[in-house]
Amino acid sequence: MIRVSAVALIGAWAPLASLPAQLTARLSGQGILIYTHADPVPGGGSLGEARLVQPILMLDLGALRQRLLFHVTADFEGWTIPNGELAPGDWGEGFVDRRHPHTYLHELILSTPDVLHRWDLPVQLSLSAGKGFVPFGSDDPMSRPVERFPVNHHWCQVLERAVGMAALQAGRVTVEAALFNGDEPERPSQAPNLSRFGDSWAGRVTLRPLIGLEWQTSAATVHSPESRGGAGTDTHLLSTSLRVERRAGRTHLYGFVEWGRASEANGTFVFHTVLAEAAVAAGRHRPYYRVERTERPEDARTLDPFRTVRPHLDNSILGIDRWSIHTAGYGVRFGAAADRLELQPFVEISYGRIAQVGAGLFDPTAVYGRATFWTASVGLRVGWGMDGHRMGRYGVPMEPMNMPGMSLSDRAP
Amino acid sequence: MRPERRSSRWPRLGAAAFLAAWAACWDSGTTPLPTESGTGPQPALVASVAIPANYGIHDTFVRNGLAFVCAWNAGVMIFDVGNGIQGGSPASPQLIATYVTAGGQTHNAWWFWNPGTGEKKYLFVGEEGPGTLGSSSSGDIHVLDVSDLRAPSEVAFFHLDGAGTHNFWMDESAQVLYAAYYNQGVVALDVSGSLTGDLSSRLIDSIRPGGAGSTYTWGVQLYNGSLYALDMLSGFWQLGVGGPNLSVLSGGNNVPERYSSDLAVANGFAYTGTWGSASRKTGVVGNVVKIWRLDTSGAPELRDSIVTPGIGTVSDVKVSPDGKLLMFSAELGTRAGFWFYSLQDPANPTFVATYPVPDGVHTAKFGTIGGRLYAFGAKDPSLPALLILDVTDIDR
Repeated sequence: MIRVSAVALIGAWAPLASLPAQLTARLSGQGILIYTHADPVPGGGSLGEARLVQPILMLDLGALRQRLLFHVTADFEGWTIPNGELAPGDWGEGFVDRRHPHTYLHELILSTPDVLHRWDLPVQLSLSAGKGFVPFGSDDPMSRPVERFPVNHHWCQVLERAVGMAALQAGRVTVEAALFNGDEPERPSQAPNLSRFGDSWAGRVTLRPLIGLEWQTSAATVHSPESRGGAGTDTHLLSTSLRVERRAGRTHLYGFVEWGRASEANGTFVFHTVLAEAAVAAGRHRPYYRVERTERPEDARTLDPFRTVRPHLDNSILGIDRWSIHTAGYGVRFGAAADRLELQPFVEISYGRIAQVGAGLFDPTAVYGRATFWTASVGLRVGWGMDGHRMGRYGVPMEPMNMPGMSLSDRAP
Repeated sequence: MRPERRSSRWPRLGAAAFLAAWAACWDSGTTPLPTESGTGPQPALVASVAIPANYGIHDTFVRNGLAFVCAWNAGVMIFDVGNGIQGGSPASPQLIATYVTAGGQTHNAWWFWNPGTGEKKYLFVGEEGPGTLGSSSSGDIHVLDVSDLRAPSEVAFFHLDGAGTHNFWMDESAQVLYAAYYNQGVVALDVSGSLTGDLSSRLIDSIRPGGAGSTYTWGVQLYNGSLYALDMLSGFWQLGVGGPNLSVLSGGNNVPERYSSDLAVANGFAYTGTWGSASRKTGVVGNVVKIWRLDTSGAPELRDSIVTPGIGTVSDVKVSPDGKLLMFSAELGTRAGFWFYSLQDPANPTFVATYPVPDGVHTAKFGTIGGRLYAFGAKDPSLPALLILDVTDIDR
């Protein structure tokens, strides 16, 4: 597996073969080699470990003068972090205080970006289908400056689903709607449950009043996300976020704020999240910061304190806790030109507090030994050709913002 | 400004180091632990019946050769396991009927045999709705008319605002249903006569033995005139049922280090389980069965414990009808499954056998059919099943 993955990663470095006319292709990839120390971890004590995280390869093909687009992302975390990435607060898909690995086939989307091109209309309609992100919430954390995934990942992104979607763009407004399967993956090799396609929906409105300024608001109803068979309750999600990217001289500024709400089991459980983050790219230097305040459910854990019981046995939880986390990081970019291999060593430190919300069996002090934690990470981010990609945006082309997490160059709109 | 040639060399060197380090920190996963094998007579699996994974099977009530399987959103599944109505046997259970109660989430059941009237008409079904363990709960009691086992129908229900039901025990001669009711404690319900519609007027009494905020009752059992209740938060209680109201007689606040689960009372002793999917104290899991002696007044006194390494939760505790065999089911960990102990000395149970089920067993019940003793277990998902073990040979 190591060899196969290594060859695949090196392959991403090689130039593509010459392509026939009217066919375009772009191959890109990234990976982050990271050592993280966390104190405390579930069960008490501290833990440090080195892993390769976010190893992905992406292929974008365009045909018929870009009237047909194909996007595929392979994610190798099932091999590199089968037991997840150490990250207190993160949760989902059977993991807790570890970020779960994503599926090997992260995205596979076929899009027709301009169905109405024959008519000279002031709107652009696109249709997309395949496996990937649902038009809900904000950009994937993998595309953002902070390496550590936020606690709100499962409240603000819905991904790795079989999705059919339409997007209508008129001027500075884009409206997206999608049907998809509610079940989330149970393991990296698992495909969406196609028999459940259409049991969940999402819609998003994106407004770009100015260049470099983007506001989205979205809603989704996800049926039984944590029970593949569909025995679970529905989750109703709301999200709104504002994203700003500006360039001032050679300095690239990025700012982002989001709010989200999740309601489960007809309002029996309600969770909130607020997050703000900022990054600056000045020459080679990349300081960044995030503050987050997110409520998460506490599920029954197995004897492995980093895993929760899956499949569920019932619809109850042990409690709700609120994670308030400050994360600051600093990276230095190596590699000069865009669309080439670039390296970014970085350090990242988080400090957070865990508080109970309401009553329940979950007691942070009993699980962790105390109600505060910190993590420290050193890492090396490697990217190739990631410039400008909007992970999870399909069909109608979005404003080509640089993604500070992926784009290591200092270009900006 | 550095020459472009130099800066382009660094990425390649870095990439080589990156790949080498990647290989060095490869996560190889975990190695499973070896499992033990028993000696002497062992439980024998006679049947494994797949249950729809929706979520699966929670509890089973066995009586008169019938097994009422509570299969969550799939409803109540009635199997002939030796009754004869459908030609079934423990080795070949035959499905008679399935009924989905309102709201699904079917958790437990009790088939009421009314000694006063001779009726075997009503099946009480517990619905386990969403809740926050230790704090809130939901779910009603549903009453099915099973006069015709092939065509059950829901005829009545009991709803309590702000709380949901869990395990039952019934005083059949008094025609009173006792229901553990999580944050509402224990509920006593008059189930005499004909049952139709809303049974809220049938509420006799309810009690929170640990008080508001410290009560989350898992199970109850009537024994020698007292009602014993095991509360996840406040421990093991003796309750009085002699008068019109429920009352606390003794016990309580006696399991401070763990959350409690299910109970069984027999032979002047009680056996209570512990639950371990959340830590009450750092590093302490629910791998204990506590042994209580009941004094002449019925008050419990903790005498000993059975500690089982390699499990995380004792999910059900039962004593065989002849009082000789203690059984508990276990979830979480490498040694999950059925565990059996001899009660030749009820104060000092001795290990007899275990039947491992790696996915875990959620509940376990005894049933005597054709003169033989069987254990009915609810195998946890991902492939939920009703497991039936012949345990006659270990019941010595």
